[in-house]
Amino acid sequence: MQDLLYFSQQLINGLTIGSAYALIAIGYTMVYGIIGMINFAHGEIYMIGAYTALIAITGLTALGLAWLPLILIVALLCAIIVSSSMGWAVERVAYRPVRGRHRLIPLISAIGMSIFLQNYVHLAQGSRNVGFPALIEGGFNFSADGAFEMSLSYMQITIFVTTLICMTALSLFISRSRTGRACRAVSQDLGMASLLGIDTNRIISATFVIGAALAAVAGLLLGMYYGSVDPLFGFIAGLKAFTAAVLGGIGSIPGAMLGGLILGVSESMTSGYLSGEYKDVVSFGLLILILLFKPTGLLGKPEVEKI
Amino acid sequence: MTTPLKKLVTAVSTTVALMGAGYATADIQIGIAGPMTGPVAQYGDMQFSGARMAIERINANGGVMGEKLVAVEYDDVCDPKQAVTVANRLVNDGVKFVIGHLCSSSTQPASDIYEDEGILMITPASTSPEVTERGYELVFRTIGLDSMQGPVAGNYIASQNPERVAIIHDKQQYGEGIATAVRDTLKDKGIEIAMFEGVTAGDKDFSSLVTKLKQANVDYVYFGGYHPELGLILRQARQADLDAKFMGPEGVGNKDINTIAGEAAEGLLVTLPPSFDEKAENQDLVKAFEAKSEDPSGPFVLTSYAAVQLVAEGIEAAESKDPFDVAAALRSGTFETPIGTVEYDKAGDMKSFEFVVYEWHSDGSKTPVN
Repeated sequence: MQDLLYFSQQLINGLTIGSAYALIAIGYTMVYGIIGMINFAHGEIYMIGAYTALIAITGLTALGLAWLPLILIVALLCAIIVSSSMGWAVERVAYRPVRGRHRLIPLISAIGMSIFLQNYVHLAQGSRNVGFPALIEGGFNFSADGAFEMSLSYMQITIFVTTLICMTALSLFISRSRTGRACRAVSQDLGMASLLGIDTNRIISATFVIGAALAAVAGLLLGMYYGSVDPLFGFIAGLKAFTAAVLGGIGSIPGAMLGGLILGVSESMTSGYLSGEYKDVVSFGLLILILLFKPTGLLGKPEVEKI
Repeated sequence: MTTPLKKLVTAVSTTVALMGAGYATADIQIGIAGPMTGPVAQYGDMQFSGARMAIERINANGGVMGEKLVAVEYDDVCDPKQAVTVANRLVNDGVKFVIGHLCSSSTQPASDIYEDEGILMITPASTSPEVTERGYELVFRTIGLDSMQGPVAGNYIASQNPERVAIIHDKQQYGEGIATAVRDTLKDKGIEIAMFEGVTAGDKDFSSLVTKLKQANVDYVYFGGYHPELGLILRQARQADLDAKFMGPEGVGNKDINTIAGEAAEGLLVTLPPSFDEKAENQDLVKAFEAKSEDPSGPFVLTSYAAVQLVAEGIEAAESKDPFDVAAALRSGTFETPIGTVEYDKAGDMKSFEFVVYEWHSDGSKTPVN
């Protein structure tokens, strides 16, 4: 019983982080699915989302606002608005002008954008770790006869529920709405979609905006869950989310969700049963193994080479 | 460039400078190398503030052998790769005396370059024993060693009769070194080490680690590393209702841990150099810092001040600006500094340096416990 509780606790820890990875991974996978490039500045968009939310929370608390749901909703909206405009602007400034050139050019442009945003936040916000106020505290405790007590915090429940809502909304949007259908058409064949009268530029912008909005949600959630943010916050999270996207099959939205969860759980299980020192070794080892045996990722479709 | 040619170039450029400017006495450049940016920049602030103050006060008193000290500042971000770049820039800039670096993992690779190029280095903060273990002639420090600090922490934990102790470190030279020293002390005392494990510096999610600590039912946790990681561990441990006492080295003892951990920082134990700013003979100096609205209470402010002072007094004692002569003078002399009387052994370590156990509070203040 003791062991089962311990296992469940690690599973909960892993799923929490995994769902947040999945939210960020969506941004990578959608952009890749549509224009076939990796948006390396995506991790930074997530970091900016976390900072914006923190600034909004601090500001609202300073104004004397005390009703928690309102603070959270306003912070979330601010984060989404700032990150989405950032995502849109990044696409306009750094990717659209070089779209259609050699594959390396947008890649370098993306890395440049990432370095720029990171350093911009360094300058504007300072390089120190900034503490995030603990807004959602407490949780449920489950204990057996033994000493170990399993806990499921309200914060973790918030992360699960928010992720679930975002994922459901995104799936419905992609499968049911007009813009969603246009997104799918553009990802299948950009040239053809454009010939059939779809405004591809608008669709590509929309992709960036949706990815950035989800990253902002993840930024607020993880900032509160971890407890601090710093300008390098997005780099590691971006790397992990990118791994999640590749693991699940880059270009596939359910793949990104699955990849995020697998990565989160594998990290927490490695820390829990082996040692925290090996957690990245195991996650990235897993990535190599999956790519060796299934190069398209778990749910990716093999790409037919067009002649 | 061959040496005679180098000399010629120096001679020519000096002559040009003398003719052009007329007033130029050759100043003595003091390089200050440490993190101005990055996750541990607050320690860098302490270092730069202490060293600048020393340079200012020495210059106000007439300088060294009639020459002014000039600060040249470099940012190594506490990153070993950048530290090497900084060291090479110092060499190119012709700086002969360096106050730095701060992080042991930066000091170590940079000191190889300084020793090869004949540059004298005094680190005000690096406590890893390996820094002075290589028989280098030009490497000194104004701080104690992990091999002194570790036993202080270990003995304190042992004196509290804990049942199970966990030791966590950040896998860096400083953190792992001190964690190992604590582990060895505790083992000698026959105390059970339930866990000895590393985390990755820069990591944010410690929920699995906290769960593991809870499962292991530990009552003491020692963390070797810096405050960004420990702050989050404290906070996440509190959220998970982990009931254990935490302890860390001077790398966690600064006010930023309060902004990260908040209430969870209350009761944290920290080994620190004694509060030099509270000594009666330093009150003049403390006022000078306060007049500039700077805080002299950080662990590395006065060690950096002392490092600059030692360079200045070493030059005067040696009556030479050659780093090798200055090093010899530092090894043979006795110096009165704000951190007490400094005498050096052959390795470049101070002959005596004590660490004190403090209890940290959630408002950023600290009280000594032994």
